Amino acid sequence: MSSLVRNRRGGYDRPARDQRSNFELYAWFFMRISGLALIFMALYHLTWWNLIVGVEHLDADLVRERWTNPFWRLFNVALVSFAMLHGLNGLRYSIEDYVRRPGVRLAVKTVAYAVVLLSLAWGIFALLAFNPAVPGR
Amino acid sequence: MATVHRVRGLWTALRYRGREGMWTWVLHRATGIGILLFLIIHVVDTAIVIYWPGLYDHALALYRNPLFRFAELLIFFSVLFHGLNGLRIIVQDFWPAAMRHQRRFALGALGAAVVLILPVAWIMLAPLFGLRAEPGSARHEARVNARHPSISDYRGPAQAAPPVAPVTEARP
Repeated sequence: MSSLVRNRRGGYDRPARDQRSNFELYAWFFMRISGLALIFMALYHLTWWNLIVGVEHLDADLVRERWTNPFWRLFNVALVSFAMLHGLNGLRYSIEDYVRRPGVRLAVKTVAYAVVLLSLAWGIFALLAFNPAVPGR
Repeated sequence: MATVHRVRGLWTALRYRGREGMWTWVLHRATGIGILLFLIIHVVDTAIVIYWPGLYDHALALYRNPLFRFAELLIFFSVLFHGLNGLRIIVQDFWPAAMRHQRRFALGALGAAVVLILPVAWIMLAPLFGLRAEPGSARHEARVNARHPSISDYRGPAQAAPPVAPVTEARP
C-alpha cells in the first residue's frame, strides 16, 4: 500500500511496477506471530498486575522485587518489543488507509515511528539498565 | 491499475454491508489504536522507576483515582477483544474453510470478550463501591507482615555490633 500515485480522477493508484520487496509479506507474517504470542503474554501481564497483585498495592519496591529476577526483565523486553512493533505496524496500516497525500503521509509516519520507537528504546533501556543492587536505580 | 477507494468515515463503515465483519474490523482498529496509545504512556512512565522511584510512586498515586480504574477495565476489554478477534483472523487466514462461518466467528469473538470481561469487571470495580476487597489484598498483607513481623515475635533489642578497631591504612 505504500507510495500511492495520484491519478487524473483525483484518487490514488498503486504504482504499476511491482516493488521488488517482500516487506509487506514479512509484516503480515509478523502480525500473526507476534499477535499469537501477545494473546498469552499480554493477557498474563494484565491478569497478574490487575487481578492477582492489584494496582492498589503496586509501588516502586514491588517493581524492584519483580525485576530482580532477570527472567521477568527478559519477559518484559519481549512483551514490550512485540507489543510496540505490532502496534506500530497496525498504526502504519491505519495511516496508509486514511492519510492520502504523500507529503502529509511521510510527516505523520515520521512522527508515529519516532514516538513509538523512542518509547520502545526507553522501555528496553530501563529493563536492561535496571540494577537491583543500586538504590534509586 | 486498481483504484484505491476513499474511506468516507466511520458512519459509512458502520452502514456498509460488511455487517459483522465490518463492525469487528472497526472495533479491531479502534481497540488497537487505543491499546497503542495506552502502551506508550505505560512504558514511558514505568521506565522512570529505574532512576526516579519517587516520581513513579507519585504517578501511581494519580492512577489511584477511580476514573483510572474504569480506563484500566476498558484497556483490559480492548486487549481481550483485539486478541480474540485477531485469533479469528489468524484461523481464517490459515484455514480458508473457516471463512464460511466468518460471521458466526466474528460474533463469537465479540461475545467471548464480553463474557470474559464480566468477572474481570467485578474484581476490578466492586472494590470501588465497597462490595469486595481490592484484588491481591491477602497477598499484600502477607508481604507487609513478612517485612514487619508481628509484635509477638519480638525478641528484645538487637545486639549492638562489637566495636571494631579502626583500620589504619598501610602506606607503601
